Amino acid sequence: MSTPDESSPRDLAAAYALGALSPEDARAFEAFLATSAEARQEVAELRETAALLALSAPETQPGAALRARVLDAVAATKVRPLPARTLAASFAVQRWTPLLWGALAASLAVAVGLGIQSWRLAGELARRTADLAERDSTIAQQMRTLADQGQQLAARDSTLASLLSPGVELIQLTASGDPDPRIQLFWDRRHNTAVLHASKLKPVPRGRTYQLWFIKDGKPVPSVTFGVAPAGEALISRVAVPSEGLVSAAAVTEEPEGGSPQPTTPILLVGALPKS
Amino acid sequence: MTPHDACGTVGPRIRLGIAGGLSFAQPPGSLLHPWLMPNPGPVSSAPADRDLVAQAAGGDERSIGRLYDRYATVLYTVAYRITGQRADAEEVVIESFAQAWRDAGRFEPGRSSVAGWLTMIARSRALDLVRARSRRERITETAAADHPDAPLAMGSWRGDPADALDRSERRRQVLVALEELSPPQRQAIELAFFEGLSQSEIATRLNEPLGTVKTRVRLGMQKLRAALRPFFFEQGR
Repeated sequence: MSTPDESSPRDLAAAYALGALSPEDARAFEAFLATSAEARQEVAELRETAALLALSAPETQPGAALRARVLDAVAATKVRPLPARTLAASFAVQRWTPLLWGALAASLAVAVGLGIQSWRLAGELARRTADLAERDSTIAQQMRTLADQGQQLAARDSTLASLLSPGVELIQLTASGDPDPRIQLFWDRRHNTAVLHASKLKPVPRGRTYQLWFIKDGKPVPSVTFGVAPAGEALISRVAVPSEGLVSAAAVTEEPEGGSPQPTTPILLVGALPKS
Repeated sequence: MTPHDACGTVGPRIRLGIAGGLSFAQPPGSLLHPWLMPNPGPVSSAPADRDLVAQAAGGDERSIGRLYDRYATVLYTVAYRITGQRADAEEVVIESFAQAWRDAGRFEPGRSSVAGWLTMIARSRALDLVRARSRRERITETAAADHPDAPLAMGSWRGDPADALDRSERRRQVLVALEELSPPQRQAIELAFFEGLSQSEIATRLNEPLGTVKTRVRLGMQKLRAALRPFFFEQGR
């Protein structure tokens, strides 16, 4: 056999024996190894070499009690060892008679060729593995999206639960009694919160927003601002309702984006809150 | 400890036997002193390592005890070198022999000596333990820290003196062979073996090109292999 050139997979034998290859390179090298008895012998020797490196460390002795602990651990191992394998398979190459060396020499050339082919296949395998990893990443992204949607669903469940909880009163905000547009305010008196549901509201122009007001003691108290989906829908949960004073009504105006401390436009929708 | 301290004045027996205990063939041109020539023929009637593994595979727990007596020091040494903690090293040795017990039936004599197999198991378990506990930073330059700071416990286990002599002679040869490497070659190999770094990680650690590290590992290991082949734990051929 000629000395392997710089690009030969056999150059990786030493690093493989030391466990210093990346997982991809190690898999590729093992594919090559499966085709080359010569390389396997080389790796066996390099592993023996590596094992001897253990002796370069300063020798330290275990405590006297360790032997018993080892034997206890062995006795406690419930898995019975596998039956001993015959040695013949492992020594197949070494037991070949000289008559077979010619055949070996002839087959080695083929084996190396196969090895290089395996090397290429292993490279292809590595690329496909990378593709697979990319798909895994995509799936992970989709799982995250799914989780987000799950959270949204949970939020809706929470909203629904607050709509259905006992003591919730429904207040309709309308524009002069017109059924469209309409806002429903589900008012939970016990918790001083409300859920706002809007339907068929016109989209507000850019830079503008709808704003909810509570009329407390005859004066408007600013509450949330909200936009609407293209269909004119909006759903806002956990709207705080003033807990003190007499809250007599809720109203909606159109305000500059970010909301206003005082209404700057006429009331669009309004509804009375019943007294407790 | 210097490489020569452990040699003493008694010629060590170098037990490189496979089944039946084959004698060690002196390599041509060896620099070994004549008094280090190994005894011809089997050095004892003790079962060969691979026979002990075969017995373990057959369910004989005592064989693990025999293997422990022969190799516990080597396994403990490498485990302690990697983990830096006596308790961790003991855990590694326990796990290693337990694994050897479980995997005895899969041991392939053609691929490895028993001692090499056990040593590499212990190294892997030790590296696993260090990685799991994120203690890599504990390990410093491999050439340094020649003296373990933990004193030997009272009643430390001492194996067979003949095994100890075999081991110390091998150790001397390993240290001599390592001295023959260029310092960068030695460093790269020791980072891979004792710290479990890949070639890429070594390149990053040393801020060297990956190709340079690959070359150092390859040439260094080939040189060690040539120098240490006569001293393999067990001649597998």
